[in-house]
Amino acid sequence: MSSLTAEIREIAARYPDSRTAILPALRLAQEQNGGWLTSESFVQVGEALGLTPAYCQAVASFYDMFHLAPVGRHTVEVCTNLSCALVGAQQVVEAFETELGVAPGETTEDGEITFRAVECLGGCGYATVVAVDNRYRHFVKPEDVPAIVEDVRGA
Amino acid sequence: MSSPELVTVTIDDRPVQVPKGLGIVEAALAAGIEIPVFCYEPRLGPPVGACRMCLCEVQGMPKLQAVCTMTAQDGMVVRTAQTSEKAADGQNATLEFILVNHPLDCPVCDKGGECPLQDLTFRWGPGNTRMEFEKRTLEKPIPVSPAIALDRERCILCYRCTRFSEAVAEDGQLVAQNRGASSVIATFDDQPYRAPFSGNVIELCPVGALTSTQYRFEARPWEIQNVPSVCGLCPVGCNISATTREGKVKRVVSRNHPEVDEGWLCDKGRFGFTHLNARDRIADPLRRVRRRGLEELSWDDALDEAERLLRGAEGRIVTALSGSETVEQAYALGKLLRAGLDAHTAVFPEQTSAALDAHRLPLSSIAQADVVAVLGDVPVVERAPIVDLWIKQAKRSGAHVVSSPDDEALAGAERAVLIWCGPDGEGGARVADLAQRTGAAGAFYLPETPNGRGVCDAWAAADDAEGPDPEPIGLLVVSGDEAAADPNVRALAERAEHVIVTSMFHGLAAGWADLILPGTSYLERDGTYVNLEGRLQRLRRTAIPPAPDELAWISRLAERFGVELAPYPSAVFAELSGRIYDGLPFGEVGEHAELRTRSEAPAPVLPGEGPSPKGKGLRLVRYKALFSGPAVERVPELQFQRPAAEVELSAEDAEKRKIASGDAVRVSHNGTSLELRARVKRDLRAGVVRIPAEHAGDLGGSVEVAK
Amino acid sequence: MGLKTMLLAGADERDLTKLGEYQAIGGYEQVPKARAMSSDDLIALLQAANLRGRGGAGFPMGRKASLIDRKSPKPKYLVVNADESEPGAFKDRQVMAQVPHRLIEGCLITAHAIESQDVFIYIRGEYLTEYEVLQRAVDEARAAGIFGDIEVTVYRGAGAYICGEETALLDSLEGRRGQPRPRPPFPPIQGLYAAPTQINNVCTIATVPAIIELGPDGFANVGTPGSPGTVIFSISGNVEKPGNYELELGTSMRELIYTHAGGIAGGHQLKAVIPGGSSVPALSAQQIDVPLDYDSLGAIGTFFGAASLIVVDERCCMVQLALRSTKFYMHESCGKCTPCREGTRWMVQLLEKIEAGDAELSDVDLLRNVCSRILGKSLCALGDFAVYPVSSYLEKWGEEFVAHVEHGGCPYGGESSLERIFAPSDQHTHSPVAQVPA
Repeated sequence: MSSLTAEIREIAARYPDSRTAILPALRLAQEQNGGWLTSESFVQVGEALGLTPAYCQAVASFYDMFHLAPVGRHTVEVCTNLSCALVGAQQVVEAFETELGVAPGETTEDGEITFRAVECLGGCGYATVVAVDNRYRHFVKPEDVPAIVEDVRGA
Repeated sequence: MSSPELVTVTIDDRPVQVPKGLGIVEAALAAGIEIPVFCYEPRLGPPVGACRMCLCEVQGMPKLQAVCTMTAQDGMVVRTAQTSEKAADGQNATLEFILVNHPLDCPVCDKGGECPLQDLTFRWGPGNTRMEFEKRTLEKPIPVSPAIALDRERCILCYRCTRFSEAVAEDGQLVAQNRGASSVIATFDDQPYRAPFSGNVIELCPVGALTSTQYRFEARPWEIQNVPSVCGLCPVGCNISATTREGKVKRVVSRNHPEVDEGWLCDKGRFGFTHLNARDRIADPLRRVRRRGLEELSWDDALDEAERLLRGAEGRIVTALSGSETVEQAYALGKLLRAGLDAHTAVFPEQTSAALDAHRLPLSSIAQADVVAVLGDVPVVERAPIVDLWIKQAKRSGAHVVSSPDDEALAGAERAVLIWCGPDGEGGARVADLAQRTGAAGAFYLPETPNGRGVCDAWAAADDAEGPDPEPIGLLVVSGDEAAADPNVRALAERAEHVIVTSMFHGLAAGWADLILPGTSYLERDGTYVNLEGRLQRLRRTAIPPAPDELAWISRLAERFGVELAPYPSAVFAELSGRIYDGLPFGEVGEHAELRTRSEAPAPVLPGEGPSPKGKGLRLVRYKALFSGPAVERVPELQFQRPAAEVELSAEDAEKRKIASGDAVRVSHNGTSLELRARVKRDLRAGVVRIPAEHAGDLGGSVEVAK
Repeated sequence: MGLKTMLLAGADERDLTKLGEYQAIGGYEQVPKARAMSSDDLIALLQAANLRGRGGAGFPMGRKASLIDRKSPKPKYLVVNADESEPGAFKDRQVMAQVPHRLIEGCLITAHAIESQDVFIYIRGEYLTEYEVLQRAVDEARAAGIFGDIEVTVYRGAGAYICGEETALLDSLEGRRGQPRPRPPFPPIQGLYAAPTQINNVCTIATVPAIIELGPDGFANVGTPGSPGTVIFSISGNVEKPGNYELELGTSMRELIYTHAGGIAGGHQLKAVIPGGSSVPALSAQQIDVPLDYDSLGAIGTFFGAASLIVVDERCCMVQLALRSTKFYMHESCGKCTPCREGTRWMVQLLEKIEAGDAELSDVDLLRNVCSRILGKSLCALGDFAVYPVSSYLEKWGEEFVAHVEHGGCPYGGESSLERIFAPSDQHTHSPVAQVPA
């Protein structure tokens, strides 16, 4: 048994129905695979939970936080929903585009950073919100962007 | 049982009394009112309310309601589109939204003419389109499997197909991917949908999104005929309609018999029909000519030749039956050979037992069981696929499914059902005996042949005389392809001086028959079959065979031996019905045949405990896989479903031998051995291994498995 | 009326994420008090308190608890909806980050009321830091023996707005694609794993300890008779001091915007307020003299919703606002029911056409009609959520839509605050399915 399988089965045992473990299991598989899920991931998760790979793929493709294509080592996500948009999120997006040389949805050529626009992150009062590897940065202005990128690359 | 409480529901001002809890769609039907639906399909489990086609006004509720999700309660007042403008607008809106991205390629769509989307748009939908943007375009058609094509542009995302896959067949292979407007139906990584019941999604699809590759562009609905019959490829006898055009079968669809198949078909039954058009189909009689091999001959010459061989054997005749003959055909053959030639010896494809008649229940009763014992080591789906769906349904309703007659659950059961699927069943006597001893509500034996019971009874009814087994065998009469493919029959042929074979396909008997008469398929015959429940069902000729059917030439041959035999199934049935079917008239067998209970049945006769397999190896169960046999071999769309060269082991035995699924292993017995892939099955008993017969070579008895 | 801390009480002074600190201000003292009561009495008390659900629909929490089929032989579940995803809302996040123990205390009390031993807190996947804080608090409280025979499990979502809808949340928690279920059956009868289930928002549950502490009468002294208690209001957009403000229900909207949130930023003019999160009808600048409570907002044609105000100043093009809002709902539509799945996409197409200046007046009418055809017809409220704001923009700022048509483009001439705003639905990184260009 692979360690992933063992870990998933251990998680599954905590829930009344092992199917509930699919989100944590997919998250684990994603973390162990450089941030995205491959066909092999679905086979592994499915085997551990007694589900078909098709089912696992169906579930994963429903949720925004599972990635079905390769991603960079880090992710930079800018919220562009209303509250952030109203105070200049687009300027922040464009600053990242300039700094990283990629459009939203793309990964830098060196494979370091995947840059994305995302829907509301729940930081509306601290706009613009930027999530770097799921950690929020608040009140981001375009002029903060070069330092953020430097920070990410240095991490 | 107390009758259900009746409540009054008023639909479009029409009060109607229905059982409390009945679905509103059904309640409306009872009032003569159609509520349009797409996603609603009670056989798929609880309603999902996804398509919003059934929006109606319900008194006391401010918003329109998807009434397919509601049940009848006393005093409920419902207004459909017929009497509510709001409901009419709601249904019109739903259709407008559905059509926003639907391609409207109806002129070239297979579904056109029998398409619920067309029909509902015709009745409830908008007559024009207000959508002026480019419609969504997607790659198409996607081969969901060699048998099924998917057009994602046409798909209206009613989720019937995925619900079938998840909640009925439980194969979990056809799923919805992505979210929102990007949602699509898909398989894992576009791999083929490889599952025994996949084809049902074609029929469930209310639009032309899932179509049969066999039927694509083959016919328009107004130029076809649907002929009611039953499937003859396994002992379940699912009720089918064969869609024909110009005398040819174009597709096979289900014809819901709620007690037998609930409207589902396995892929063998659905897609197997193209064996009728196999390139090696025999259309003319063939005779072996020394040094030149087989030669075609006329029917008159063939009957002369058959007569010559029959007379020449001087009664030393053995008949090998397939179990796929109709009752009438088996009776006719029996009468010819037994009454005409005093040749009483027959080799049946398998044992049958009338003891089961004491436990006759419809297959649907499995779904009501609280405990289902599945005994016998051969996977149910391989032998009688629909039974597997009934067991799954029972399980979903909370039944315990056990694999041993000694299971404690069985002792405490109120409605236990026993199912025997495997060797050593003594034709059902063993399970009948078990049922008697445990007080089980019902017992089923899953035979290997579609009409083994009917054939056996018909042969017995054909004459009362008995005779000794001939030695040496002067003539072996092999009736049908299954018998011709049986190694035991082949062994008999070696010993026989002459052999007559009825066969559909070249190759099966080419090497050893003296005379080959063209055989026909269950789709080409009229007559009756007896399924595993003991239900007598009616077959209809759905296609014209390339040669006269068996009954036609048997009766001509019978004439030459002074045996009176009509060439019509109705007449033959009338003759035999008095002997074995209580005089039931042919016309009353029915399109949805009922299961006639038997007041008396013989006690089960069991041999003493058979010799237990010698040695301390694993007991080998060889089984005929569902997707195997002469018909399946000739259907291109089913080749991907053929069984893999695998040996199945229990988890316990695999662990002992440090074998994992996918390992290459050697299976050996008495010096012979085979290399196969291992597959570990959690539901297999320890001490038993399973191999599909076509991959089992000469292995038998007890075997050893090692890496 | 005005500022009043109840949910966030003590959080400014102490680090209430620590069990000891929370207990030092009387934390978890309500649990034994509640456990001393019978389940029936506790439910009666909660009903008397008339605590209205803070998640959006405003359904009385005690009444929900009374509907639980406690006689069922199945386990009962309490599920806390911490999938805060409504644009404009960020208060559950603060509660979990600052007073996680108050939420847990509320869980233990509510679980006792409905005779449940299993509590699930479904937290949105993006809230990683909050998850860690909450999980630590749960572990600490469990280790301290406070749970008794109750187990509290924190479960992370994975990024889907629809999972904030309670039945979609249940499907997600069961390990499925999070799509709403038809009701009936309602969760109190058949919820999680088909067992009786109570589902409440974070702020609702975190208010429960205060109800036990104050008693229904004491609780009713706060807020208005129809809407007792305090609410944390999230305010964002074009104000000087955006943030969360815990106020008594009934505080005026003007007070929140101009007193607490410091008024419109940069000396700009107030144009619109979307008062309950982005899914509710917007109010014009003339409509803000309204008490912030369920009934008063309902009376002027909008919803209290998630108590999350998005303040919009005069620089914003309402067509762009509608388009950005609709792109969100299209992106988040689960795909199960037809009107929402197909209708939101059509709305986006029409709004894009209007914004581009390619539309005719009939397109504006068509948009209005498409909205009306989605409204009230979808399986869950998401379809309505897409329509409410857009219909209100059309109603109150209809002339801007017409101006786009007559002007042949956006009258803001590239100066709108939402100009060019990029939406995630514009990037196709998620779908493995090839879209063929038309």
